[in-house]
Amino acid sequence: MRDVAVVGVGLSKHVSKRRDVNIPELVWEGVSAAYEDAGITPRDLDGIITGNMPAFEGVNLPELWGAGHWGAYNKPVLRITTGGTTGGSVGHGAFYAVASGLMDTVIAIAFEKQSDGDSTAGLNTVAVADMAPFLSYGIDPAFMLAFGGGAVGVAVYQASSYMKRSGCTPHHLDKVSVLCRTNAAKNPAAHLKQPGLTPEEVARTALMQYPLRFGHVCPASDGACAMILTTAEKAKKLTDKPAFIRSVASCSEEGALVGIAAAGTANTDPCAQEGCKVAAANAYRKAGIKEPRQEIDLAEPYAPFAHQLLMFYERLLLCDEGEAPSILDSGSMELDGALPVCPSGGVISTNAIGASALERIAEAALQIMGKAGEHQVEKDVHKAVAHGWGGAVNLNVVAVLADTPTPRG
Amino acid sequence: MKSGEGLKNVKRMSVPFAPVFNWSVGNWMEQFFDGLKQKKILASKCAACGRVYLPPRMICERCFDKTEEWVELPETGTVETYTMAHVGVADNGELEDLPEPQIIAMVKHDGADTCMAVRVDAQDCNVGLRVKAVWNAEPDGVLDALSAYRALD
Amino acid sequence: MEREVAIIGYAQTPYEEDADASREILVLRAAREALASAGLSRDDIGTVITANNDYLDGRTISNMRLVEPSGACLKDESKVEMDGAYAALYALMRLLSGFHDVAMVIGESQASVYPTYAPGVMTLDPTWDRQRGLLNEVSAAALQARSYMNTYGISEEQIAAVAAKNLGNAVKNPLALRAVPGATVEQVMGSRMLCSPIREMCAWPATDGACAIVLAAGDVARKANRAAWIRGVGFYHDSYLTERPLDKMTSLKMAADKCYAMAGIEHPEVEIDLAEISELFAHEELMAYEALGFCAEGKGGEFIDSGATRMDGILPVNPSGGVLAANAVCAAGLARLAEAAMQITGEAGDHQVKGVKTALAHGQTGLCAQENIVYVLGGE
Repeated sequence: MRDVAVVGVGLSKHVSKRRDVNIPELVWEGVSAAYEDAGITPRDLDGIITGNMPAFEGVNLPELWGAGHWGAYNKPVLRITTGGTTGGSVGHGAFYAVASGLMDTVIAIAFEKQSDGDSTAGLNTVAVADMAPFLSYGIDPAFMLAFGGGAVGVAVYQASSYMKRSGCTPHHLDKVSVLCRTNAAKNPAAHLKQPGLTPEEVARTALMQYPLRFGHVCPASDGACAMILTTAEKAKKLTDKPAFIRSVASCSEEGALVGIAAAGTANTDPCAQEGCKVAAANAYRKAGIKEPRQEIDLAEPYAPFAHQLLMFYERLLLCDEGEAPSILDSGSMELDGALPVCPSGGVISTNAIGASALERIAEAALQIMGKAGEHQVEKDVHKAVAHGWGGAVNLNVVAVLADTPTPRG
Repeated sequence: MKSGEGLKNVKRMSVPFAPVFNWSVGNWMEQFFDGLKQKKILASKCAACGRVYLPPRMICERCFDKTEEWVELPETGTVETYTMAHVGVADNGELEDLPEPQIIAMVKHDGADTCMAVRVDAQDCNVGLRVKAVWNAEPDGVLDALSAYRALD
Repeated sequence: MEREVAIIGYAQTPYEEDADASREILVLRAAREALASAGLSRDDIGTVITANNDYLDGRTISNMRLVEPSGACLKDESKVEMDGAYAALYALMRLLSGFHDVAMVIGESQASVYPTYAPGVMTLDPTWDRQRGLLNEVSAAALQARSYMNTYGISEEQIAAVAAKNLGNAVKNPLALRAVPGATVEQVMGSRMLCSPIREMCAWPATDGACAIVLAAGDVARKANRAAWIRGVGFYHDSYLTERPLDKMTSLKMAADKCYAMAGIEHPEVEIDLAEISELFAHEELMAYEALGFCAEGKGGEFIDSGATRMDGILPVNPSGGVLAANAVCAAGLARLAEAAMQITGEAGDHQVKGVKTALAHGQTGLCAQENIVYVLGGE
């Protein structure tokens, strides 16, 4: 296979409501920043890989209308969408496009303009297929909507289960929010920036559904992320310090929504996330990483809910199960720590859903390239892991990035 | 029970909520709408290649530049292609017979490089027909400012 | 290409107006049958790519409940939200990268569960065209057809001839939804006018169904029961429908040129033995003849008149009946790929064309065929 390098990253600003731009115009902000960062124009491009959560904005295949704003004129376009993991899946698609040899230089574009749509209704449609078994059990779908509809409904069960298994306390959740939101304060693209936030302040926010408080949950953002990938040879001409995507791997599990799968296969503990472990193990192996705990310098887990930062840190095989809360306590996850986590501020600070999992890869790339600015971590980052999560709690995507290509032979 | 048996009714379960969308139109379309309110047809122009977009677009897809220039176009244009529509898409997403067949045309306004899909009120439509915009006397909102175009004498 | 990749298994469900099964069951049937035809088990599959659309399925993240029926559980799965021929492209990329050796590709849709024409309307610019209520799949296709006819002097009869040919061919395809024994131009011309010049028999039928193919690289492909090798692929995106000329399929021509260059094809009209084209509307097949280089620009009408694309012609197009015979939206282009592969392996049954060594398959996404993808497949 061919080595694949990231040579440009672009992010729009992320805020709650961008009423001054429409969808293609908002996305253009991230896209044009990526072209500028890479020092190329759409003319240099062999293709575009894009995706978002279509049901959220009510626009089907928005690239048909808008891709002219992103440099798609007479270019190949491939649309990949997988829910919460969409951005990661788009990043993976861009990686494969280059690794396959079919294309040299591509742009990955992922976005969401949540203010245009109705994301709770969108998320509730996640539950539609689950109504069939609910009906067969005699459960009213209206109850289903109140009970499990929307992402928070799912997340609380996962959080409780994780806390029971790991010994994570509500105080740890508060500290996760502080870690992320104070990092976000140093990231110009981030949405919720809370410099000087304290765990006590988070603990005083309203309880949504035990154990999650408002302070533990992501905002809904308008935003876009774009990333330019190319071959190792072409990267050399564009930058002295590209970030190589060494490997990508995803893993899809049986669906689990409040414990009942539509396919009627299993009651799955939503915090088990076996798929994340499988994807991480595959990604490390393909990246030539034998000891992720020693080798990985930085992690960007996908954590729209506070407990997920700790849970996925474990599922990404960066420590034993149940160890993450004490690692958080040790300060190791801070910007100046041994293995900084979510230096970008993470999804809990910024969530333009379709873009979020691509932003994890983008942040890993920025940190390796040394271009993260104020939120650049203190240590040198040689290897980083970026993650995405979604679906019916059942989809995980993992990418491993490094400052050198995968060693061969 | 064999797999698939008895699922027929479940397949028809409908979704018990309707999402609401509030699309931002962006500054370019807003300027276009402001123009329509004043019975002006405003298009955006790419300074680099001169391409004129109607409706306006923020980015010239060919040059990847912002279209910073604005031009007011005449109300006249040419039918690039047309159809006599006997059916339309009903609210339920299925085809329905229109009360009266209507002519839908892609009209290129004089000076524009892109088309607008509009209704044309004419006995006989053909490609190349010269048409003129007709302003709705009592528009139901700005999206309704333009009525069916009419053939130029 | 970095590796040799072949289609080694395929399956389609029967195409129906209202399948008595959930989409999960349709996918399960197609996936199992495709695996069986490839002589593989689920363990052999490295990656699964599905093609489906959230609006067609009426739910967000339409792939997530297909994990189990597609055989993707605990595997590297992803979804392309386009025609299934693009899902095959993504699977191909994954195999070419060397990360995977065997891929399952599945496309599905069930028109009986969604409002048939709403997803098309929802692709329109929501700040203008969608609000104005004039454009939809049929009216847009009609504008495209008229533009093409006007530029090149194509007649309605020549367009109807495409429908007559394809719906007649479909009689020999047991899976087809719409087959018209002995279909004639007069019959097509007599069908209900939707938006002039598009008549009911010239427009795709709302369809339920699924299609699955198994792709393999390297040794697995060489040892397979059968192999239709992918010799080339090309795909391009066109501008939004009000911003491009509608009288030609520019992105299809670009896709074909790219694909032919990869496959080493210089004279498609001679070197291609058979084509399966995604003609959502009859006129698109004529436009595709030109864009694919089967005939000169503007000569699509003469080409169909010549009989060249009939089942017994020099370059049969859509012996399966094409999309006019069945359009399970996200499966449509993937089915063209499966059909082209079947013709190469000699397994097309009653609609088999003799001596097919090189076949072309086409898929499209978007109103007025905004995005197009072309494959060339070859035998040994």
